[in-house]
Amino acid sequence: MESSDEAAIEKHRVHLRPVTLRNAAPAALHLLPCEVLVSQSAPVGRFFTPAIRQGPDGLEVSFRGRSLRGEEVAVPPGLVGYVMENEEKFIGKQDFSGALESDNQEEEREPLERDFDRFMGATASFSHFTLWGLETIPGPDAKVRGALTWPRLAAAIHAQVPED
Amino acid sequence: MDLSELERDNTGRCRLSSPVPAVCRKEPCVLGVDEAGRGPVLGPMVYAICYCPLSRLADLEALKVADSKTLSESERDRLFAKMEEDGDFVGWALDVLSPNLISTSMLGRVKYNLNSLSHDTATGLIQYALDQGVKISQVFVDTVGMPETYQDRLQQRFPGITVTVKAKADALYPVVSAASICAKVARDQAVRNWQFLETLQDFDADYGSGYPNDPKTKAWLRKHVEPVFGFPQFVRFSWRTAQAILEKEAESVTWEDSTAGDQEGTGRITSYFLSEGPRTHHHAPHRYFLERGLEPATTL
Amino acid sequence: MAAGVDCGDGARARQLVFLLPEYLKDASKKMKRGLMFVKLVNPCSGEGAIYLFDMHLQQLFEIKVFKEKHHSWFINQSVQSGGLLHFATPMDPLFVLLHYLVKADKEGKFQPLDQVVVDDIFPNCVLLLKLPELEKLLHHVTEEKEINNKKYYKYSKEKTLKWLEKKVKQTMAALKTNHVNVSARVQSTAFFSGDQVSSDKEEDYIRYAHGLISDYIPKELSDDLSKYLKLPELPASLPNPPSKKIKLSDEPVEAKEDYTKFNTKDLKTEKKNSKMTAAQKALAKVDKRGMKSIDTFFGAKNKKIGKI
Repeated sequence: MESSDEAAIEKHRVHLRPVTLRNAAPAALHLLPCEVLVSQSAPVGRFFTPAIRQGPDGLEVSFRGRSLRGEEVAVPPGLVGYVMENEEKFIGKQDFSGALESDNQEEEREPLERDFDRFMGATASFSHFTLWGLETIPGPDAKVRGALTWPRLAAAIHAQVPED
Repeated sequence: MDLSELERDNTGRCRLSSPVPAVCRKEPCVLGVDEAGRGPVLGPMVYAICYCPLSRLADLEALKVADSKTLSESERDRLFAKMEEDGDFVGWALDVLSPNLISTSMLGRVKYNLNSLSHDTATGLIQYALDQGVKISQVFVDTVGMPETYQDRLQQRFPGITVTVKAKADALYPVVSAASICAKVARDQAVRNWQFLETLQDFDADYGSGYPNDPKTKAWLRKHVEPVFGFPQFVRFSWRTAQAILEKEAESVTWEDSTAGDQEGTGRITSYFLSEGPRTHHHAPHRYFLERGLEPATTL
Repeated sequence: MAAGVDCGDGARARQLVFLLPEYLKDASKKMKRGLMFVKLVNPCSGEGAIYLFDMHLQQLFEIKVFKEKHHSWFINQSVQSGGLLHFATPMDPLFVLLHYLVKADKEGKFQPLDQVVVDDIFPNCVLLLKLPELEKLLHHVTEEKEINNKKYYKYSKEKTLKWLEKKVKQTMAALKTNHVNVSARVQSTAFFSGDQVSSDKEEDYIRYAHGLISDYIPKELSDDLSKYLKLPELPASLPNPPSKKIKLSDEPVEAKEDYTKFNTKDLKTEKKNSKMTAAQKALAKVDKRGMKSIDTFFGAKNKKIGKI
């Protein structure tokens, strides 16, 4: 995924295809308490999901012989979860022509440059995910739960200030 | 043996027992403890107790129970059926410890080794019999480890009972032989009818004895290793044989309590916004962000 | 759909897990393009950071990423290492603009915006000029002049401090309503201990809010803001000796590190009492030299980037 042109890296633009935000099908996500060192397809539905049990204090499963405890975490209101993927291929002709036949919105007249413009699209969406802890429920002190409170605070920091 | 409860959920442990013969609540009983499936890398480990009144011990011996290892599978099944017929004076109970329970115990943050797990299970079964009203006066336990410490511990735990822990007790005491038959019958049946909760592709039911040194078992493990998930839960992940195959043929997984040696190679992420530059942080983010693991994104 | 895309051997493109404001979905209805991630300057550190522009909503979004060791995602029928979770949240573009206004103020004159917002390293900064709201906001931080229908701007520190004070105030209010534990005493017991909140002092809130805002402004301005807010100086202390994080030896002072940033930042925001070590004093001196030259800072950075 590295660019061939390394000198001007900060010039890159990654275009997120808006249409993909509307068409993304719901996905099931699990945040695991371990690092799997690869990113690849994996038979989650054949190995993992069928092993999940509802225990007395939350969800239970095991992975690689280790016991996990989990809970559902909702995406904070006002937000949507998306899974996005870079489009590996370079910009195709359709992207240039697409820009030409567009409805003259200014943003679409921006010329694309083969070396600096890439596309990315949402491949799935989610409104909640399962958060797993090693042997114990992650609970309210889980760092990621703290992170989920950020958008609300960000809204206050970045809101326009009242006029005098 | 009715193992349907295990077949419904084989991720934890499962206890089965015969009704308690009325006579066992009245007369002093002798109780034997034995296990089956301690060594295999596949399937559950089963702990069993078997008991009868001292006065009927001769009747139990008359069944010609013997160390389950010296019997064929059909002989064991026949003997277990006979014990069931003699349910008016012979009782039994067993704990099936699923391979998943064994894996997660042994690989826990706080390691729970197989010996402790075994001892606690045996203790639990004796206590269970007591709770059911069985008048236990003597206990015989087969062991693979050091009999002395085990015996001391059990004796302390059950002061009113005469405890004998012995290697090869299953060959010496008929009540232990009977327990070993119960355990072995349950283990064999559990393995034979194992309900894989995973959907395995090209599934091969020929996994041999399940012992790590059985070439068939090894071949089966190699065939069914999955790069991300490793093995189905039928496999004891904590066995060296299983771990060795995972190290070679599955993807590396590190946990927060993994030893440092396992953690090489973390954090390889390729990205479009290429490099993050030299990894010097001259500005520490505000504590709000540090406490929440948040930082400005510098790559996509 | 993610579940389907399998590339032969199971390898697949990297998947990014994002949380986006819901309204982006609807607002982008007519667009084929117009949502783009670009790298712009981080106004606090001067380094690059990823931002998202919505050219349709004419809005800027900041991208933060949740990163903790030992996480991975299962996403449908795939595994994604890293376990990162990205957040896109609306960002006040004035923070980025301030970076350029302060820089341009070295010229000491009124300039049109398109001469202020220029950047060799982050050329996408021109996208900022397409945010129409921006012009309405500029009065918060600049003096304006209009000549021949063209507007000229000059950075005003006074106005900026006033604006930042309002930012601090609204941030404080949000800290309270969101029950953020701002107490300087305990840092370990996380976020939600409600009873702690009541005992937090007003000063803790101001300091905390000031610290948060400081993540969006240059160090110099953060110091000025601290004085402006009359935040009492804290006894000097560094929880982590800076010598461990900063390599003094192998880079010239003005190369790319603004040592002050790290150093005094901690002096301000951390509360533990202890004396400065000799090394810290030395660093404090180095500071002042580093501070004077945001230009040099950039120049040097520029060279550096070229080599990457």
